[in-house]
Amino acid sequence: MINTQETVKDNDVLLELKDVHMFFGKVAALSGVSLQIRKGEIHSVIGPNGAGKTVMMNIINGLYKPQKGEIFFKGKKINKLPPYKRAELGLSRTFQKVEVFGGMTVLDNIRLGRHIHYKSGILSGSFYLGKTKKEEIQHREFIEEEIIDLLEIENIRDKPTGMLPYGLQKRVELGRALAMEPELLILDEPLAGLNLEEVEDMARFIIDINEEERWKVTCLLVEHDMGVVMDLSNRVYVLNFGNMIVDDTPAAVQSNKEVINAYLGEEDLYSTRR
Amino acid sequence: MENTYLPCGKYHQTYKDEHSWWKTKFIKSKMILLLIVLFFVIPNVAQGYWMSIFNHVGYTILGALGVQLLIGYCGQLTLGHGAFIAIGSYTTTMLLLEFPWPQIIVDLGLSYPLSTIIAGIVAGLWSVLFGLPSARIKGFYLILTTMAAQFITVDFLITQYISQIGGRGQAFSIPGESIKIGPWVIDSNTKVYYLMLVLVILIIIMLSNLLRSRVGRAWIAIRDNDISAEVMGINVLKYKLLAFFVAGFIAGITGSFWISNLSAVSPEHFEWFLSLWLVGVILIGGTGSIHGVIFGSIFMVVTMELLRMGIQPLGETFPKLASDFLYIRDSFFGLLICVFLLYEPNGMAYRWWQIKSYFNLWPFSY
Repeated sequence: MINTQETVKDNDVLLELKDVHMFFGKVAALSGVSLQIRKGEIHSVIGPNGAGKTVMMNIINGLYKPQKGEIFFKGKKINKLPPYKRAELGLSRTFQKVEVFGGMTVLDNIRLGRHIHYKSGILSGSFYLGKTKKEEIQHREFIEEEIIDLLEIENIRDKPTGMLPYGLQKRVELGRALAMEPELLILDEPLAGLNLEEVEDMARFIIDINEEERWKVTCLLVEHDMGVVMDLSNRVYVLNFGNMIVDDTPAAVQSNKEVINAYLGEEDLYSTRR
Repeated sequence: MENTYLPCGKYHQTYKDEHSWWKTKFIKSKMILLLIVLFFVIPNVAQGYWMSIFNHVGYTILGALGVQLLIGYCGQLTLGHGAFIAIGSYTTTMLLLEFPWPQIIVDLGLSYPLSTIIAGIVAGLWSVLFGLPSARIKGFYLILTTMAAQFITVDFLITQYISQIGGRGQAFSIPGESIKIGPWVIDSNTKVYYLMLVLVILIIIMLSNLLRSRVGRAWIAIRDNDISAEVMGINVLKYKLLAFFVAGFIAGITGSFWISNLSAVSPEHFEWFLSLWLVGVILIGGTGSIHGVIFGSIFMVVTMELLRMGIQPLGETFPKLASDFLYIRDSFFGLLICVFLLYEPNGMAYRWWQIKSYFNLWPFSY
C-alpha cells in the first residue's frame, strides 16, 4: 500500500534509499527498504522495538554498510563514503543514547560540531597564530548567537557536559548536531527519557530548526511518542521487522489497518501524551 | 576541569578576552613571577646536586607530556613511550657521531639543534608506525601493541644492531663539545637546566595551544566517544595517527635533549620501566591535564630522591637496604600508584583545580 499521489520531483529529493538490505549474520535487520526524503520536510520513521529504525539511521549515516541497495544524498551515491565524509556533505545526527563528549564543556562540544568548518591545522594551531585566533572568535560568535541562544543553554555553557542532567545533555547533543549547519538532520529518539516540559521544549526546537528561515533543515525523526510524531511530521514512514508497511501523511498512517495492528494497537492510545 | 571559575566580580567583555591565555591581571603577574623564579632565582640558588634533580624533573615532564597527549587527551593507551625517547636519543647521537656535517654548520653550532628536529621527526614517524594498529583496536589490546614498540625498538633494534655500528660497544659516549647550540656548549648542569626550561615551556605552549584549537578538540572527542566523533566529521584514524606523531615528536625532542645530560647513551637508559614510569607520572598527576604532568613529575622525582636520601644513612647499619634500593624504589612506586588510585583517582591536578576554584570564589563560594 504505497501512496504515491503526490508526484515527487527528482531535485526535491534530498536523501533516497533504494532497496536496502542489511543482515547481521543470518538475521535480516532490513529487507528491501526504500525511502525518499524531500527537502524541507520532517519525515518520521516509526515502528515497534527492533523494527530496524536505528539500523536504518546508522546506514544513512555510514556507521553500517548495507550488503545490498543504494543510498543517494543530494543525488550523489554515498554507499562507500565513511561517516566523516558524509558529515562534510551535510549529514548530521543525534543518538538514541546520548553520545556527548562527557569530558568537554558544553561550548567545546558545540565547537566540535563545527569541526568541518574550522580550518586551522597542526602548525597554525600549535602557535595559535593569527588565523587560528581569528577563526576561534568568528566561530564563537556564530555559536553564541545562533546555537546557544536558540537552545537556551547560556547558563551551562562552561559546565562539563558529562555532569549535566540527561535532558540537558540531549539538548547539547542537538546543539552539536546543529552547529554543523547540516542539510539533513537525523534525530534518533530525541524525546526518549525526557519529562513533559522537556518534550515540549524539544519539539519546539525541532519545529524552529525546520521552519525558521535561518535554518530550514530537513529532519529525519525516529520517535516513539506518537503525539509528537503525528503533530510534527509531514510524512510518516512505518517500519516493521525490516519491512516498510506504509509511507504517507500522518492522517493516513493513523487510519491504516496494518499499522494499527503492528504498532499503534488500540485506537486513541497514541494520543495519551497530549 | 580545565575551565576555572573567574574570581568574584570579574567578567569578560569580548570573546578575545575570554580566549586569552592569562585571563586576569593577577594570573599574569603570578605567571611572570613564576618565570622569574624559574629563570633567575633557581639557577642562582640551587647547587649541583639539586640542579640535576631539576633536570630530571624536566626530563620527566617532557617525556610524560607525550604520554599525557596519547592517554590523557586522545585516549590511546600506550606503554611503550620509552621507545620513542630512545629513538630520539639515538638519532641525535648517530647524527652527531656519524653524519658528515659541513664544517660551517658545526662552527655555527647548528648540528645539535638540527639533529634534535630530525630526531623529533624520525621518532614521530616511528611512533605513527606503532600507532597504526589503533585503527582497529583500542584499550588493553593497544597496550600490547605499544609494548611491542618498546621491545622491538630498544631490546631488538637498538641493542642488537644500532649499538654495533662503529664498533663502539654497548654505550655511545658523546664528546662534550658536540652538544652545542649556537655559541653555547651545553656542558654544565646549569646550562642543561636552561635548555630544559626553554624546551619545556615551548612544548607546553604548543601543546596547550593545540588543545584549545581544532586538532586538540578532535583528540579529546576521540577520547570521549570515538563513534560520535566520526559522525561529527572527524577523520578518526587521521587524528589518532596525528596524536601518535605529535607524541612521538615530543618524545624525540625529549630523548635528544637528554643526551646533553648524559656522558654516554646506552639502551639501559630506555628500559621498559621508563615507559611504565611515565604512565605512573600521569596517573598520579592526573590524566587529561597539563598541570597534572608537571605536578606528577615533580612529585615522583622528588619523592624518589627523598627516599634515596632517607635510605642511604640507614644503609650503613643495614647494608641490605642499600644494595636492594632499586627494589625498594620500585615497590614504593607501585604502592604510590595504588594509594593515588584509591584516594585521589583524579590525580593531583584535580586537587589543585579545587583549591584554585575555592580561592577564586572566596568568600562567596555559592
